[in-house]
Amino acid sequence: MTSVTPQRLKRRQDVVTDGNQQAKILSNAPDAREGFFAVPKVVE
Amino acid sequence: MSELNKLGLGAARDALRAGEITSVDLTKACLEAIEGAGALNAFVHKTPEVALERAKAADERLQAGDAPDMCGLPIGIKDLFCTKGVPSQAGSRILQGFLPEYESTVSQNLQDAGAVMLGKLNMDEFAMGSSNETSTYGDVTSPWRRGNDDAALTPGGSSGGSAAAVSADLCLAATGTDTGGSIRLPASANGVVGLKTTAGLVSRYGIMPVSYTMDTVGPLTRTVEDCARITGVIAGRDENDPTTSTRPVPDYEAALAQGIKGLKIGIPRNYYYDIATDEIRALMDDSLSVLRDLGAELIHVDLPDMERITHLSNVTFVCEAAAVHEPWMRERPDDYQEQVRSRYEPGLHLPATAYIQALDARPRALKSFVDQVFSKVDLLHVPGVPFAIPTRAETNVAASSQMPTMIATISWCTRATNYLGIPAISIPCGFTANGLPTTFQLTGRPFAEETLMAAGHAYQGATDWHTRAPGI
Repeated sequence: MTSVTPQRLKRRQDVVTDGNQQAKILSNAPDAREGFFAVPKVVE
Repeated sequence: MSELNKLGLGAARDALRAGEITSVDLTKACLEAIEGAGALNAFVHKTPEVALERAKAADERLQAGDAPDMCGLPIGIKDLFCTKGVPSQAGSRILQGFLPEYESTVSQNLQDAGAVMLGKLNMDEFAMGSSNETSTYGDVTSPWRRGNDDAALTPGGSSGGSAAAVSADLCLAATGTDTGGSIRLPASANGVVGLKTTAGLVSRYGIMPVSYTMDTVGPLTRTVEDCARITGVIAGRDENDPTTSTRPVPDYEAALAQGIKGLKIGIPRNYYYDIATDEIRALMDDSLSVLRDLGAELIHVDLPDMERITHLSNVTFVCEAAAVHEPWMRERPDDYQEQVRSRYEPGLHLPATAYIQALDARPRALKSFVDQVFSKVDLLHVPGVPFAIPTRAETNVAASSQMPTMIATISWCTRATNYLGIPAISIPCGFTANGLPTTFQLTGRPFAEETLMAAGHAYQGATDWHTRAPGI
């Protein structure tokens, strides 16, 4: 839509704005152990 | 005051601010209505505890004189939106048990504005349908019936639960999403107002994607006034959705006063009426007469090749949807409804060139549409759905050979809009001979929501279709 209405692209500071949510990220995993996603072994 | 759940957002807000009612009473009235309307299957995750807790908090804010726009107003949220700690399954079996750790921007904005969430609303699985019969929670049934015929009707889709709930007064307003007509089709089938916003007006953060370059978010309400009230709350720049526009959000409610006088409204010479029934044509003509009597100038316009635009919209849709779902389709094909899977599958077999060409043609299609249409008129008036709403039996893919045609044709008047990214509003404009609601759409230039709503509001000031309630 930038070509239809005049608007300047939004900018932000180049800094980390997100992170440190290991528990939240793993909360819906089918299996999680010691802070990691746990998946079936694929290499014997 | 009786039947609080039937109040509009404006009337309820005024009564709350004047201290005539409390949000707790209003919320309880809605929760009671929801309990009594189980047959519609509109609310699939009810959150009465969350609702009453937020209603109490809203009452405290109201008493303290710190009441934001939506303070204490009970609404429903489509299941496609992630809501923290509340199931958000997109109507699918695949997301069963998923409890989001975060809130979609739209539901967060509504919550911040004081709105009370009553629960999550049923929808077609992954928003891939137009009839609300692919949900893992079972079909939604329209609150409307054909005359004295008891046959269950489709509420349209995919935001069918949202439209049915608003139409049956289970909530004051609801959120919806529209990728090819998913707000406007159910608005039409249920006789409510639905707004498909300009691409980039409302954040999609926290909403399960369908076709990410065409997905848009908008409200379903009983009146255009309510549509304006809620759109102002959900619209605007969001750091979490880089596709949102930096354009300042206008005061939509104030813009309603702009009225319709002197607006040029276009009537399409080609495409939109190609498959419309005589009955729908007559209803559209009636609504145009009302708009003309209100001071609009009606002008016939030639449109670009809309069949091609609709085709490109479909290519974009199936390719993007297949890209999102390909891993699940490979690993859990049986957890999809067959009708939904069969709609994604073409996207797996189209060459990348077809998708790239569809995206490449998009800016030029928008330019030619704007040049040909919006250089001559302010708004374009088109039908919502080109025929009367079908029954469940008629939309059932297993029972009816008509179903594939039905899917293609029910969205005849809506698909192109999403490819072009322009806004469109559906407004109730009367009933077919068998007693079912229908709508017209007004579309406009990108970010013309104020004009759309001002014209729609003027129309509702002169008509009472939006006040008709379903019999059950």
